[in-house]
Amino acid sequence: MKRDGTPPLQIKAHREGFILAPDAGASFSAIRSCLEHRLDDAGDFFQGSDMVLDLGRRPFAADEIVQLRELLEGKAQVRLVEVWLGPELDGLLSWASRGLGIPLRRTAVAEKEDEAPRPVVVRHTCRSGTRIESPADCFIQGDVNPGAEVIAAGDIWIFGVLRGVAHAGAGGDRSACVRALSIQPNQIRIADLVAVPPKGEPSSARRFEMAEVREGRIQVITL
Amino acid sequence: MAGRTIVITSGKGGVGKTTTVANIGTALAKKGHSVVLLDADIGLRNLDVVMGLENRIVYNLVDIVEGKCRKEQAMIRDRKLPSLHIVPSAQTREKDAVQPDQMKALCAELAEEFDYVLIDCPAGIERGFKNAVAGAEAAIVVTTPEVSAIRDADRVIGLLEANLLRDIHLIVNRMNLRMVKQGDMMSTNDIVSLLAVPLIGVVPESGEVVISTNRGIPLVHQKGSEAGRAFSNIAARLDGEGVPLEDDHKKSFMERVKDFLWS
Repeated sequence: MKRDGTPPLQIKAHREGFILAPDAGASFSAIRSCLEHRLDDAGDFFQGSDMVLDLGRRPFAADEIVQLRELLEGKAQVRLVEVWLGPELDGLLSWASRGLGIPLRRTAVAEKEDEAPRPVVVRHTCRSGTRIESPADCFIQGDVNPGAEVIAAGDIWIFGVLRGVAHAGAGGDRSACVRALSIQPNQIRIADLVAVPPKGEPSSARRFEMAEVREGRIQVITL
Repeated sequence: MAGRTIVITSGKGGVGKTTTVANIGTALAKKGHSVVLLDADIGLRNLDVVMGLENRIVYNLVDIVEGKCRKEQAMIRDRKLPSLHIVPSAQTREKDAVQPDQMKALCAELAEEFDYVLIDCPAGIERGFKNAVAGAEAAIVVTTPEVSAIRDADRVIGLLEANLLRDIHLIVNRMNLRMVKQGDMMSTNDIVSLLAVPLIGVVPESGEVVISTNRGIPLVHQKGSEAGRAFSNIAARLDGEGVPLEDDHKKSFMERVKDFLWS
């Protein structure tokens, strides 16, 4: 056992057999002797079973795998049916290079295109002092009170009254807009433009209001 | 059963927290409950002055917390009501003299002996506020019908909710119905729809408040005071009595007749 108590090797049950999970930091000799003891202590328990070797956290080492397989077959007729590898494949590549006689190298792996960031959905009123940021659109189910700020790279939709500050198109997109059931803000910002509400009573919206950029200025349309 | 611990807070200073604590506490004691008022404003204590007990302070909250005295030694009994006590704060110390944990422990102890523990919170949202709300299971937020007070109240309500203190009620203090009618002041409905917490009372603006503070006699002792009556109603609602809320719109005679004919 390592000083911190993690065993060098754990054997876990699996649907079709068992999983051998060696610890990442243990020495191979510790793992080997731990496995020997486990097999001895278990008697017939593992006899003839199938095992998977989980190298998810350990670097690949072909000779270690071979030794473990021999140990398993020799002591308990256990078949090592699969080896699971982790994300670190350099050990595997150098072993394969040696076998092939030609060096193998991974070129930059084409990452899956970053999925478009998801919109942020807030299902409560934003009280004063709240700041909501979104890398995409933002939906607020509730009011945005004075002293609250909502900042989104995309559009902002407020199913309530906007009384605080809303900044749509925060990354510079002037085509973004702010829609709310009623727009009575401290300030509205779209991209790099800032607007404050005109003096006088706010209009009572029939259905909703929308702030967007027209002719280089932010305008609020009541619908 | 343990008593209720309620913090009276606002964010903004000067909206009437201490007056509220003094008056609601007195009204509850008049109804026969055992009440202790805890002044959590360390460094700027006021509750003792408003209650007229500043000459009787020997020990204070910080002394209790630092173990220099037992809590009974710091408690001062009200001159008129034997079931009403206050724990004064320390004027010569600062907010960091007390930790939230210590407040929580003290409030729990007090709740075992009293029906109501009312905590007078200082203005602000920093350490003083955190100390005051630490021991409370419920909150009453006091605001005036004035934009900056409402903004601060909204912030405080947000902080209370974030701290999982969800039993929150609102008092609108210093309401001036004439100004509301003239359109110069926000109505109670406007305030409640923005702050979105249940209203527990509306207290009218009154010059009597300053006089009562200077004398050290809470307004609920004074018959015929509208503000005093409002505070008594709030105490009654806290006690579970279904006293109807004061309506902003004082109905004219003809309107009331119309209501009667329609009903």
